[in-house]
Amino acid sequence: MITGQDEAEAARQLREKIAAQFGRSLHIRTLDTGSCAVCEQEIRLLSAPHYDLHRLGFFFTPAPRHADLLLVTGPMVRAFEVAARKAYEAMPGPKMVVATGACALGGVYRPDPFVHGQVGAVLPVDVWIPGCPPSPLALLHGLSVAVGRLAEKTPGLTLIADGQSPGDGT
Amino acid sequence: MPLWFARGLRRGVVTTRYPARPDASAASLPTPPSFRPEKLTRDLVDLMIAVCPGPALRRADDALIFDVGTCTACGRCARAAPYAATPSGEFELAATNRAALVKTIPILGEQR
Amino acid sequence: MTAVEPRPAAGTREQLIRQLNGLGALEVRDRGGTQGAVTVRVLAESLEAATHVLAGTSGTRLADMFADTSSDGPVLRLVWAYEADQPGYIVLESGIEGEQYPPLSDIAPAAFVEECEIYEQFGVRPAGGKPLNRLMLPPHAATELPTLGREPSRLPEEVHAPHIVGGQAFEFPFGPVRQAGVESLYYGLVTSGEEVVDLYLFTWHKHRGVEWRLRGRTVLEAICLAERVEGLSAVAVGWAFAAAAEAAAGVTPPPAAARTRAVALELERLYNHAAATAALCQATGLSVGQSAAEIALERLLRVNAAAFGHRYLFGVIEPGGVSRAPDAEVLRRELPGAYDELRRSADALLSTNSFVDRLEACGILTAEQARRLGLVGPVARATGLAIDARRPAPGPYADHPVSVVTAADGDVFARFQVMLGEAAESVRLITQFLDNGTAADGTLVPPGVGTGLGWAESPRGEALAWVALDEDGRITRARLRPGSARNWRGFDDACRSQNVFTDIPIIEASFWLTAAGMAR
Repeated sequence: MITGQDEAEAARQLREKIAAQFGRSLHIRTLDTGSCAVCEQEIRLLSAPHYDLHRLGFFFTPAPRHADLLLVTGPMVRAFEVAARKAYEAMPGPKMVVATGACALGGVYRPDPFVHGQVGAVLPVDVWIPGCPPSPLALLHGLSVAVGRLAEKTPGLTLIADGQSPGDGT
Repeated sequence: MPLWFARGLRRGVVTTRYPARPDASAASLPTPPSFRPEKLTRDLVDLMIAVCPGPALRRADDALIFDVGTCTACGRCARAAPYAATPSGEFELAATNRAALVKTIPILGEQR
Repeated sequence: MTAVEPRPAAGTREQLIRQLNGLGALEVRDRGGTQGAVTVRVLAESLEAATHVLAGTSGTRLADMFADTSSDGPVLRLVWAYEADQPGYIVLESGIEGEQYPPLSDIAPAAFVEECEIYEQFGVRPAGGKPLNRLMLPPHAATELPTLGREPSRLPEEVHAPHIVGGQAFEFPFGPVRQAGVESLYYGLVTSGEEVVDLYLFTWHKHRGVEWRLRGRTVLEAICLAERVEGLSAVAVGWAFAAAAEAAAGVTPPPAAARTRAVALELERLYNHAAATAALCQATGLSVGQSAAEIALERLLRVNAAAFGHRYLFGVIEPGGVSRAPDAEVLRRELPGAYDELRRSADALLSTNSFVDRLEACGILTAEQARRLGLVGPVARATGLAIDARRPAPGPYADHPVSVVTAADGDVFARFQVMLGEAAESVRLITQFLDNGTAADGTLVPPGVGTGLGWAESPRGEALAWVALDEDGRITRARLRPGSARNWRGFDDACRSQNVFTDIPIIEASFWLTAAGMAR
């Protein structure tokens, strides 16, 4: 177990390793743990002409053995847990898990007898992508962060409006 | 097939340059709110928490705790408190650390 | 493909109620005056006769069936749609004595799936001992899942293929994790090689227990969840749910808000039909067609974002009205080009023989099958049934009647043609609604005891909702029935009629349902 200040260094090393291995060609498998189907539609659009994830070296694969990254939607319905673990374990290492959408991050559904409420309850998540649904642009950003190609903005975001900018209230 | 080939050539390229270049369509995406600390009061924050349909907002004494990860950008908090909450315009929210998605905003408005 | 007027049917509302009264109907509760749904309560011993009356009348169909608990025991509710000159709904209500009720699916086969669901949730079953299938409850659930009523005394059997094929047929499971970017869905396929002998579906791995979760919530809290039951029908299911709450409170949205709802609903129909077109191209292996349809789809989603602030129109419907009005100027400017993209792609597809050949005579459903199973939406209209939930009053379509698009052959090609016809009709309707004026407006939905039925025509068929509210306006029972919950039962039949494995994705694309809408 890595804790404390080792964590930042380990994360940096891991990211470099990931960028070296996945930076040029990343194979993505998708996993629906109980979504409303809209996240899937946005994911499908990644291969549509407007977004074309192939130009970034990203590819979808139906085969878990070829997959580097598991893109997971939905609140992890408990009845799906066995299938989710199998999908993850069928992927050879090194591999990453990206939880995408508010449901997968703990929003919309609280934990209860039907759902875990978040993907992280069952699978080890590496990258979280908020949105309801995350748009294809947000997904491209998240995937680029996952392979270390883009720096993430979240640590620097305060979500505090400075009061100087006009900002309409709608 | 020549029909499709000709159509494709005529249609041209629609592919975005994102992430190398910004994409104009991002401007109409719904985004989580940013908050104005000087407009926040405890009562207003409690009102926003009441209208939020999810677990995104919480109050800890004089701080608003905002979990962006669970925000659906529904806009109800901004409609309840339009001077305190406005769309942030941020859609590039991916994080490698879950805690980085939980933001603390101080409540600095005057109590009435 | 022609836009035809629906045939007037024999059973008008007055006639049906008169016949039910003749059976000793206890109560006719009518909040909507001459419009809206009417609830008729019959004694348990008259339920079978009442079902015969309704099922036997031409032009009526069983739209939904669900149960509820009450102080006197379980209550059964059957929602019947009648297709007279002025179409509408009758909710037939009856108490259940003991653990059994009459075998209604023998009279109305459209009730079978609901009988299975009611047994799982309330522990009551039809008399006669017909085997019931497992529906929402997972077979290997480690924990007991809460139900809406009393648990069944014995859990239902697994679903097995009803046909036994002599010789070499074998059964294999497919899913729930499937190819990239599609929902989890489990098929059991029975085959003797290439052809589909039988096919059955499970969706319990996506069952989120939404009806259970909505209990105790206010309508305002609940609508966010209702929209996300089947996100691709967010406007339709949200509208049906809001309308049910409004009917329970005896209010209607102001006309401009109702027109806003209709604009959003038609935009939802447009993008879904574009997405179905793309899926059809993908299933038939026509990549260029898929790309062309995806360009149209993306443009339509951007129109949604520009007009209503969300690509999938979440958050537009509110109890009592709408939260925002469309940006009419942007919509008028951007929609024609986006729709034109779809229309030109569709024209090119219709001229591509290799594509059309794959669609014709594939996945055939007859009107009789559609009627018997109670199918809705483009799937039913493609067999010739002119069913459309935009026709029953009240609603914004009263002043802007819809030309219902039907086809005759019931195959994938017919469904595709119906979708294209509907897309053109949607654009026409949006223009009319904008011309007549839209607004971000609403009416207060006062808290109070009441029950109500709401409906909307989703892209995949009629979406229904029914709510019971207590004196604080909190939900005691919410029933959500998206179009998918009705139409998946037709998928088995469509795949069975002389189709091979590679036809299954094509038929699935032509249905354009969701697992989420079935599983809830």
